[in-house]
Amino acid sequence: MRQETVRRLVSLALLFLLLIILGTTSSSFLSLPNLLTLLREASIVGIVAVGMTFVLIAAGIDLSVGAVLAFVSMLSANLLYSTTFPVPVILFLGTVVGVAAGLVNGVLITRLHLPDFIATLASQGIFRALTLIFAIRTNGLISNKVINNEDFLALAGNTGGLYFVTLAFLLVAVTGQVILKRTKFGLHLYAVGAHRKSAELSGINSNFLRIAAYGISGFCCALAAFFLTAKMETAIPDIGLGLEFDVIAAVVIGGCAFTGGRGDALGSLIGALFMATLTNGLYKFNMPSSVQVMLKGFVIISMVIFDAVYRHEVRREKR
Amino acid sequence: MKNDNLLLQASGVEKSFSGVRVLKNVHLEVRRGEIHALMGENGAGKSTLIKILTGVLTRDAGKVLWCGQEVALATRKEAHRLGIGCIYQELSLVPTLTVGQNILLGQETTRGGFLQTPLMKKKLQDLISSFGLAIPLDSAVETLSIAQRQLVEILKALSRDSSLLIMDEPTASLSAHEAETLFRAMQILKERGVSILYISHRLEEVNRLADRLTVLRDGEVVGVLSREQIRPGEMIRLMIGREIEAGKQRALTPSTRPEALRVCGLGRHGVFADISFTVREGEIVGVGGLVGSGRTELLRCLFGADLADTGTVQLAGKVLGSTMKARIKAGFGLVPEDRRGQGLVPLLSIQRNLALTNHDLPGAGKIFLRSSFEADLCVRSMESLDVRPRFAQMPVENLSGGNQQKVVLGKWLARDLRVLLVDEPTVGIDVGVKEEIYGLLQDLAEKGVLVLLVSSDLPELLRVSHRILILRQGRLFAEFRRGVVTQEDLLRAISGIESGAAL
Repeated sequence: MRQETVRRLVSLALLFLLLIILGTTSSSFLSLPNLLTLLREASIVGIVAVGMTFVLIAAGIDLSVGAVLAFVSMLSANLLYSTTFPVPVILFLGTVVGVAAGLVNGVLITRLHLPDFIATLASQGIFRALTLIFAIRTNGLISNKVINNEDFLALAGNTGGLYFVTLAFLLVAVTGQVILKRTKFGLHLYAVGAHRKSAELSGINSNFLRIAAYGISGFCCALAAFFLTAKMETAIPDIGLGLEFDVIAAVVIGGCAFTGGRGDALGSLIGALFMATLTNGLYKFNMPSSVQVMLKGFVIISMVIFDAVYRHEVRREKR
Repeated sequence: MKNDNLLLQASGVEKSFSGVRVLKNVHLEVRRGEIHALMGENGAGKSTLIKILTGVLTRDAGKVLWCGQEVALATRKEAHRLGIGCIYQELSLVPTLTVGQNILLGQETTRGGFLQTPLMKKKLQDLISSFGLAIPLDSAVETLSIAQRQLVEILKALSRDSSLLIMDEPTASLSAHEAETLFRAMQILKERGVSILYISHRLEEVNRLADRLTVLRDGEVVGVLSREQIRPGEMIRLMIGREIEAGKQRALTPSTRPEALRVCGLGRHGVFADISFTVREGEIVGVGGLVGSGRTELLRCLFGADLADTGTVQLAGKVLGSTMKARIKAGFGLVPEDRRGQGLVPLLSIQRNLALTNHDLPGAGKIFLRSSFEADLCVRSMESLDVRPRFAQMPVENLSGGNQQKVVLGKWLARDLRVLLVDEPTVGIDVGVKEEIYGLLQDLAEKGVLVLLVSSDLPELLRVSHRILILRQGRLFAEFRRGVVTQEDLLRAISGIESGAAL
């Protein structure tokens, strides 16, 4: 069996194992409303995770996703409060800002040769600070002013119980999968991530591809920002704080490797579902959030160890 | 035109690096559909010539005709476009992609950005069947053997319509069986009219495969042999030359001092097997062999950097533990091949580098480092090794290659050293410092230290060693212990033509 197939089965098995455990131990877990809420929770992380997938495949990492999401959220809220722009215009502007933020990361990394980790850690700080600067204030204090634009709030709605954000997530994941697996762009992204020098010797423009990957990550952050803001009906500076943790956990469970060239959008979808199920289940058992975060940390470590050991075994077999 | 079957014709090619002429008036002709071998010792100028032909370097002077037309060959792209493909020693494939994806990487068939998989499949199938090279298209490259990966590289070059394939020591890391696969592929290519410029150190391969042979020595073409003229003796004569007699031979006399190091049946799976030898006190034992013959791996194993699967190592009658810690404690030291990458920490000072191996010595300080200890050590080492400039706080990356190598040696000399393992100690080091390093090794030996010297430089082996072992394909193939030994004898043994002195 191919390595990728085995890896897919492992992440699916993890998800089903968790679903079975929770389904049999908690009576309310398998109820339709709970599952729909779970999907909604998974969708925000999932949309950002699809963008992160592109970055990890290109052997990068984007620590700025939470901050970029917050910045786009705050900016859109500001526009909703203080302008009469129609919602599509606001969404467009927010998207442009998100993509631009990603491209800035990409340029810092490829043109100025900053390590991915440093560049996006620094831009995380910068975008978080910008969010604070643009925060809505009354009498100098930050206030959570409610958004009352009906058109915008409609984003938080659902159709037949299925939230729009979940539909958006599915669309993003499928589109991401098609781009990665069926286009030249996707194929070249895998090549650049797995072995940049070889890819360049084959005439591939690696810098362009890496910048584009960060741009896609920024796009996904903006998209997630709209849905999250609509759901919360306000924008707060702390929105999306620590999001990168869940997102990175999701893509690692889904099969991405920090060394690049591995994983796909479908895997990250599974990973996002896993993370949301874990969170949801732990709530059901009234576990404190410290246990949640710790468990997620263990999950990341175990998956990375599993991948390392498994790949080592595969390589040994072949010799 | 009379030169109709000439594919490539280079004449009067010159190249200098910082005033040193590495290629002098070089002529090279490759005919259509021939396997043309390029031989020469290390530093003869082979790689420079290849780099010029692939557009990586530009020549200082000379003309290159491609199919009778003069070409500039200024960039790698231009070489590609003309149809010159190169298969580097270090392969340039993407391990996680499939064979098919790798072959067509960068030249995929697309419509609106989408891959046209069926069309590409057909293209690949055509390519494979037209050359008769069987390879599983849907396997990930990382699951293939090195030989299969080379086939992928070849197919990749052919998919770009290469009419000249340059292969730089393609068999260096192949097993005998894998090499056969490659040779069959080369025959097929030849029959299809593809020319191959084949760089190899292995006489028997060239003897078997080459239609013609060009031999380089010290940047000059010293001979072009046709099929009938290619004989091992003739190749060796050309490669070594006749002019310089000094350092070409040496009379070995067996040492009578007591045996100290005894290596018994040492083996490491897939790397080397069944290596047994002894070293007497104060002996310098040279270890020769081709790249990939297991020399470096043997040294690493003796040092404990890699673990042996079989065999034992005894020093003064005692069996040693197999870990690096045990070996260092027993008095082993290693001067690795990759000086900058493994021998030194380039950013740290001379003083720090010298102290790195010695923090377990008495006086070094148990928890906090004693800078007076480091400073003393450093002053003594720099004096005795004559490191220049004598500036303890200078980062070693700013030193010349020779002085860096002295620092690597110095790391071990402050200790109670019993066995020094040295891997290619003088690569990239100028002549004067080379002599100093030989002197150092000889002084150490006189003091009773056992030295194992791995080298590809034949004059060096002859100059320094008391005894010479030759490794071949991971096995001890020959040993020279007494009588007059010439470079020619060594080269024959290294190439596996004859085993020289009986083992």
